[in-house]
Amino acid sequence: MTRYKRQDPEITRRKFINVAMGTTAAVGGVSLLSTLGAANPVFRLTANKMPPQAGDILVHAQESKEGQPIRIADLGPQLVRAWPQGKDENGDPVIRKGDPNNILALYRFPKGQLVAPTNLDATIDGETVAYSDICTHAGCSVGDSDINAGEMKCPCHSGQYDPKRGCIVIGGPPPRPLAQLPIKLEGDNLVVTGFFLTYPYPYTNENEWESIKKEVEAQRT
Amino acid sequence: MNQWLDERLHISRLNDKFLRKAFPVHHSFFLGEITLFSLIILILTGILLALSYEPSNSMVVNSFDPGTADKPNLIPAAYHSALKINAMPFGDMLRRIHHWTANIMVAAAVIHMMRVYFTGAYKKPREINWWVGMLLLIFTAFTAVTGYALPYDNYAYNTLKVIYSIAASLPWVGEWVSQAAFAGKFPGDGLIPRVYGYHIMLLPGILLALTAAHMLIMIKQKHTQPQYAKRIAYKKIVGVPLMTQQTPIMLALTLLFAGIVVLFSAFIPVHPVEFFGPPSTTPIDNIKPDWYLLWIFGVLAIIPSFEIHFLGGVINSEFVGAIVVPTIALLAMFAVPMLDRSRDNLYYAENPTNYPVRLGLGVAFMALLIVWSVAGYKPELISAGILSNANANAVLWIATFLVPALCYFAVQAIVRGIRSLREADARDRANFQAADD
Ligand code: FES
Repeated sequence: MTRYKRQDPEITRRKFINVAMGTTAAVGGVSLLSTLGAANPVFRLTANKMPPQAGDILVHAQESKEGQPIRIADLGPQLVRAWPQGKDENGDPVIRKGDPNNILALYRFPKGQLVAPTNLDATIDGETVAYSDICTHAGCSVGDSDINAGEMKCPCHSGQYDPKRGCIVIGGPPPRPLAQLPIKLEGDNLVVTGFFLTYPYPYTNENEWESIKKEVEAQRT
Repeated sequence: MNQWLDERLHISRLNDKFLRKAFPVHHSFFLGEITLFSLIILILTGILLALSYEPSNSMVVNSFDPGTADKPNLIPAAYHSALKINAMPFGDMLRRIHHWTANIMVAAAVIHMMRVYFTGAYKKPREINWWVGMLLLIFTAFTAVTGYALPYDNYAYNTLKVIYSIAASLPWVGEWVSQAAFAGKFPGDGLIPRVYGYHIMLLPGILLALTAAHMLIMIKQKHTQPQYAKRIAYKKIVGVPLMTQQTPIMLALTLLFAGIVVLFSAFIPVHPVEFFGPPSTTPIDNIKPDWYLLWIFGVLAIIPSFEIHFLGGVINSEFVGAIVVPTIALLAMFAVPMLDRSRDNLYYAENPTNYPVRLGLGVAFMALLIVWSVAGYKPELISAGILSNANANAVLWIATFLVPALCYFAVQAIVRGIRSLREADARDRANFQAADD
């Protein structure tokens, strides 16, 4: 050990170069990172991507009957998939399947079988009910259970829902029930009377859902 | 000409350094090579497939079944091109070879890592290569998953959707990350072009760079020597040189391996895109990921549902099951060389039974992954009546802890048995010799 600190000009020069190189690398890295912004395109909320909303009618989603309006007689305790159909800017009908998360599940149960926490005011006669058909877990489309009749099963990670009790989760990983969509009967058509009662997939919290609802309202007026 | 080239490129040095590299003679050392061959076959078949593939999810008229003029049958271009590939001569075969080779590559890599782990070959000085190998494994899985998505049939579509939402389940940044990774809200117009870019440019580039690093480090550090080398020539490199002894062995192995893959592909169909059909909202029953990701899927199937709101972010079962748990498992694997306290360089592959704790832990870890993979079959187990809806989760969770623990102790017992047999042998031999004298 020496008592004197060696003053070596070599060291400072080396230090200078290191710092200079470090700065260059940092600046370069950050500017490269900024190009990452381009990776994420802007999203435009067009009529075909809007969530189901008041005034939409429900039409069949099944390939062979796609676009035909759904009648009460088509429904039963077996799941029927539906798309909301609304109007575009020119007033022409548009099926809102630009966002596949808009797919709906319709059921009709004998009176008295639908119970809380289903919102019975948002059903037709306490018999016909509409839910989002997108699993709140990872967004797969949910089907009728092949194991327990009357339940729904998500094929992806075996999430299970009970459509008679507000689609609460009765098994598997999904974090929330499927969102219920308020509907009514108008003539022969099934008509949507408002937004989903709770936030549906792919939203993860109330705020996101509220802001999309506002955006939709703004475009409607 | 030879001399002319040699004077410029110093080929003789290359010869001394690389072409005469000694390869240990032991079949377990071929696993890494099989992984490498798979990568090469994958790149070759991948190039051929890319020539006929159309990376776009915009809708086109299905030329095989155009529908009518006022109601044309529209399907995504990528799916359409997959149908066309199937229809070309050997097109389906090409897809199958690509698929099977990918599976074999992952399998060979996994067994290769098991060999390295159980014989202690990850120890100083080869820690870096263990880590590079881990990265190779992870990026191989990524490449496989993105490849899965490209035919863009209903199966691929559902898979992509789950991957998208796993990315979106990251607290706080998830939404942004998943949209940046998959070109906007799912399924955006740029979805397939983006995944295509990953699968044919970004990820193979990373794989090639990592493979090169992996092999250069291996050449620099030399293989660990098998045990017999210690007896033949202590502290000397024993093995056959790459040129001209190892090369024919390698070639034979490649041909054999390629033959097996082609045989597989000829008789076992994979991923029938026609069967799954174009993307739709009809769920596919009992959809499953490939076997090497099944354990993550299993964790998701048995994790209870929850959602914690924390400082404006959401921590849910999906994030924990699909990101936190696998990350912990991978970190444990990364940490393997650091848990080892040996200070000396390791020259000789170790006999696993001399390291019962390491052996037991490795077996327990694999048992855990197998239990979770079985959990991936939860719906089938319930349908078959083996488990019931009510007890499935409980049974599988108990197995999660019990089976690895049992495996660990079973290994300890077996090792003790082997050791006492060995000691008895040594005693016999000593007695025998004593009697001889
Ligand atoms: S997406 Fe439905 S359970 Fe995972």
